[in-house]
Amino acid sequence: MHLLAAAVPVPYPSWLNTGDNTWQIVAATFVGLMSLPALAVLYASIVQKKWAVNVLAMMFAGFSLVLIAWVLWSYKMGFGSTSLGGGVHNGLWTQQPASGVNHIGTVKHFFDNLVGKPGQITDALNEQSQAVSAANTAIPFHFPVVSLAFFQFVFAAITPLLFLGSVLGRIKFSAWCLLVPLWSTFVYAIDAFLLWGGGYFAQEGSLDFSGGFVIHMSAGVSGFVAAWVLGPRLLRDRQHALPNNLVMAAVGAGILWLGWNGFNGGDPYYAGVSAASAVVNTNVATATGVLVWMGMDAWLTKARKPTFLGGVNGMICGLVGITPCAGWVNGWGALAVGAICSGFVWVAWNYISKVRPFSRVDDALGVIYTHGMAGLLGGLLLGVFGDPNMLEYGCGTLDKFGQVVNTPAGAYAHASSSCTPFGVNGLMYTGSFHQLWEQFRAAVFVILWSAVATFVIMQIIRFVLRGLRYKEDVLEVGDLAIHDEEAFPEERFAERVGGGAPGAFELAGISSGSSGTSPPPTSLGTGAQSETRP
Amino acid sequence: MKLIVAVLKPFKLDEVKEALKTMGVQGMTLTEAQGFGRQRGHTEVYRGAEYEVDFVPKLRVEILVDDTDADAVVDAIVRTAATGKIGDGKVWVVPVDSVVRVRTGERGADAL
Repeated sequence: MHLLAAAVPVPYPSWLNTGDNTWQIVAATFVGLMSLPALAVLYASIVQKKWAVNVLAMMFAGFSLVLIAWVLWSYKMGFGSTSLGGGVHNGLWTQQPASGVNHIGTVKHFFDNLVGKPGQITDALNEQSQAVSAANTAIPFHFPVVSLAFFQFVFAAITPLLFLGSVLGRIKFSAWCLLVPLWSTFVYAIDAFLLWGGGYFAQEGSLDFSGGFVIHMSAGVSGFVAAWVLGPRLLRDRQHALPNNLVMAAVGAGILWLGWNGFNGGDPYYAGVSAASAVVNTNVATATGVLVWMGMDAWLTKARKPTFLGGVNGMICGLVGITPCAGWVNGWGALAVGAICSGFVWVAWNYISKVRPFSRVDDALGVIYTHGMAGLLGGLLLGVFGDPNMLEYGCGTLDKFGQVVNTPAGAYAHASSSCTPFGVNGLMYTGSFHQLWEQFRAAVFVILWSAVATFVIMQIIRFVLRGLRYKEDVLEVGDLAIHDEEAFPEERFAERVGGGAPGAFELAGISSGSSGTSPPPTSLGTGAQSETRP
Repeated sequence: MKLIVAVLKPFKLDEVKEALKTMGVQGMTLTEAQGFGRQRGHTEVYRGAEYEVDFVPKLRVEILVDDTDADAVVDAIVRTAATGKIGDGKVWVVPVDSVVRVRTGERGADAL
């Protein structure tokens, strides 16, 4: 065996590609920003003033809970190897189903490929080795496990935070802190494994670019069921459910929109052509969604006025609708998806909301419409508008480290005996209903599983905590009763009492007393600053 | 003529307003207020430091009525604003010398 030149210190292993790794971490951070602060600020500012702090507290706690669960057990449930010995037969995109094959698979096959085996990713080997996923066997990942795990974490985190919008305004903080890790483990991890982690639906050919089903539809359905179990907010809160700050809502919504560049742009896992296409398609669909909703507000309502919050709803419909399609449709597809999702949800929001069961459940911010319905619709529309020429991955040559070394002119987009470029065969381009059928099957499962599992989890929490909601006198007051904090406290009326945390001067050792023990603040003093020095 | 002033729990406004409208009261003026009576204030905690806030949010409602209507209006406010708990507020009545409607210059009872 021939030895190489003497080794010198190197910054990273040869399987790593700096562009891909950089984009993955940046994209993950963008998606993280969609939760904190974007969603936290958006939700906190469109609820009544008295609920703003409670929303923020639940957002930050929920984000943290998902991350701890994620590194200790649930990442591997979503993206590890199967727990029940099913094994993965095909990579996601190497396994284009032969035309006409519509097998349901056996029950055993389904359960063998339902969820990954729980496990930690906290030790050095697990964090730093090259990422692998059962869903990706054709091209090696160009980044370590942590890059993939963190990218997938921010998706896992935002999903329960989305359906906080359904249950806020009455759920106990303690109930929320149990709901999030339980839901993340038993609903999210399973849906993610089935569609993304190489599980049953991934093997069957159901597709979800960035989470139309796994994230948005699942969040919408789960929020709706949780809201139903929980019961409605106070009648007075429902009748006075005005936003407290539309300017802050714009900040949250804006970060959400542009953060989505990471959401959809990061999912090809490589900083390549598909990532760029996904980003542009996402923005095109979103702009369409905004304009369609505002237009329908302006022309089809009694008031005949465009509304800003309507525009935000349309924006979310566009974002959610394009999510399952992002890199797999072309620009025309993106326009169509944005328009259809926004238009349909507008109708649902204004009319379907008045019929059962929607009229009977207090889904506070309407997550079932803007996320649930838009996610379902987007996922199905992939089966219609999926363009086989919009390639997520092409064909070329890899060197021994797994890096792309050349793609001869035209080879990237052309099938050969050893490689088929991966795009989606939508009805419009191929005349085949196959993809639509695969999408439909996965949607039915995700809806049923999300609904049933959420229902059971809520009942368990109700039993453990002897109730899911705060009592009426707490609900009357809101933030102050739950957290002893107000979103906009009035300093003139507040007077510091008792000990509590020291002020900055005390922390720095600057205090009026020369002895070691600092005197308790006087009734006049609100800190060391106001005390007289000897 | 009388000026009826009521300080109420904010979430009771709807009921009070509905009751007064049903009685035919033509208008009212509303101010967000902070106040305290026998009801204790509350504690807020920021960055570990505890603050006592004596004042609690209230609504101050003012209504101008004819002498003969004053008692009925006061009764309606008391009936609808009561929760039976401490902090329900107060209602008081003061005599009014004159009232002028700005638009028309009408005076006295005509201006009510």
